[in-house]
Amino acid sequence: MNDLAAVKQKNVAAEAGSIATADAKITARNLNFYYGSSHAVKGVNLSIHNKRVTALIGPSGCGKSTLLRIFNRMYAIYPKQRADGELLLDGVNVLDGNYSINRLRTKVGMVFQKPVPFPMSIYDNVAYAIRHYEKLSRGEMDGRVEEALRNAALWDEVKNKLNQSALGLSGGQQQRLCIARAIALKPEVLLLDEPTSALDPISTAKVEQLIGELKTQYTVLIVTHNMQQAARVSDTTGFMFMGELIEFGATEDMFTHPKNQKTTDYITGRFG
Amino acid sequence: MNNAKAHLKSDNMSMWMRRQFTDYLAKVLGTAATLFGLFWLAWILWTTVSKGLPALKWELFTQMTPPPGADGGLLNAFAGSIIMSGLAVLIGTPIGIAAGTYLSEYARYSKFGATIRFVNDILLSAPSIVIGLFVYELMVRQMGHFSALAGAVALSFIVLPVVVRTTDEMLQLIPSTMREAALALGVPQWKVVRQVLYRASMSGIVTGVLLALARISGETAPLLFTALNNQYWASSLLDPMANVPVVIFQYAMSPYEFWHALAWAGAFVVTMFVLLLGIASRWLLLKGKNHE
Repeated sequence: MNDLAAVKQKNVAAEAGSIATADAKITARNLNFYYGSSHAVKGVNLSIHNKRVTALIGPSGCGKSTLLRIFNRMYAIYPKQRADGELLLDGVNVLDGNYSINRLRTKVGMVFQKPVPFPMSIYDNVAYAIRHYEKLSRGEMDGRVEEALRNAALWDEVKNKLNQSALGLSGGQQQRLCIARAIALKPEVLLLDEPTSALDPISTAKVEQLIGELKTQYTVLIVTHNMQQAARVSDTTGFMFMGELIEFGATEDMFTHPKNQKTTDYITGRFG
Repeated sequence: MNNAKAHLKSDNMSMWMRRQFTDYLAKVLGTAATLFGLFWLAWILWTTVSKGLPALKWELFTQMTPPPGADGGLLNAFAGSIIMSGLAVLIGTPIGIAAGTYLSEYARYSKFGATIRFVNDILLSAPSIVIGLFVYELMVRQMGHFSALAGAVALSFIVLPVVVRTTDEMLQLIPSTMREAALALGVPQWKVVRQVLYRASMSGIVTGVLLALARISGETAPLLFTALNNQYWASSLLDPMANVPVVIFQYAMSPYEFWHALAWAGAFVVTMFVLLLGIASRWLLLKGKNHE
């Protein structure tokens, strides 16, 4: 096969949003998750494109947040929660016990539903994790903090009060601070777990716009309740139902010609 | 038909009256119980203030405990109490915070943790005289004499469970989302605990330490068996040491008027100190809440 053909095939695959392309950042193979004896994610196979936005939608309790929390092994802090199967990040199985959990989390950052700023200054919130991994001079650190805050579209609003407590920011600003905190470590993947569900419409619009900018640098995975949001921000969408990944493909196709009846029912508002 | 309706109505009426009465009764009994409790507290406070305030004088803080018939103050007793209470807090706080952290962050869901929590609660309500006797056996008997160090250790056994309990509770109050957010940055757990969780629960933990200090500043029984008393300065921590509660006990039991006055003054000062600590800890908690 010559190069041109390979590129062509890759493009075709990418357009179709098909599983297992050469461009995959993350690949899941027969991924299962259990809360004690309850089987919450069932045999999921998917592959997530590098530097694209992938959205996971589905009704409450379908396992989409649970699936997201496998990607940085967030579940590991709770007993009785376990995952099996394979989850490949750049081809390496991160579920392998030998894969350092902290190394994984520096590569895969996460932003949660409710903004949780740490009880410290805005500056320290962003610098917190950098300090643990890198010994930087004051000037270098200032630069990194500014860069992260700029990338999170928050710099202009906070540049004059970097030393004030982060708890004084509005909800929308706090959430962008959490995004800044996550990208300050320069991760490769960013997991967003319903990042706008606690925000007002204006803050939501800002965060959505930000997601569009973030995908130039990061592979973004977003879990959302809001189908319009998935349609607005994502390139690829996965629909989950009762722990299974029912349909996974290009967002446009998913919302215009869903292949599965359950997907049709969900996106037309028949349930969920 | 009409009759039945009327009957139903009168039934409802009597039920309503009965409920009104029960409600009234509960209110009266509750208020009476509160007043009963408050009455004794107010009486104790009033006696302490009315007898202690007139006995208050500058010499209290500048002169040593006197022999019978002589003039004096409570200087060595205050100093002894401060030294032993301070030492007890210094011993009890780090161990207590470490143990409380273990319970909340590392053993929250385990049976072992639940067992330790239970045992700690028993220690929390252990009679202080038992703790005094325990340290008497542990240290005083072994060393052959009473000592300030034994007194501080006995007091630290009272500090310890209080600090364990409050640290455990305050850390558990932190929403799990904050833990997750910090761990999601790839920072190891011990650093998350030290740099994020302690900061979020600081006011609560300090409150626990203050409450523990308030509790030991009036404890007599554990000191009676350990530090005993000393009419003079203790030359070292290995000597018996004067302290306010035991001096109050000794002077209040004596037949001398002047000693009685000193005992009242000492009781007044300790009570005010505990009151102040109580106010300070409430203020701290409130400040911590507003900060969130």
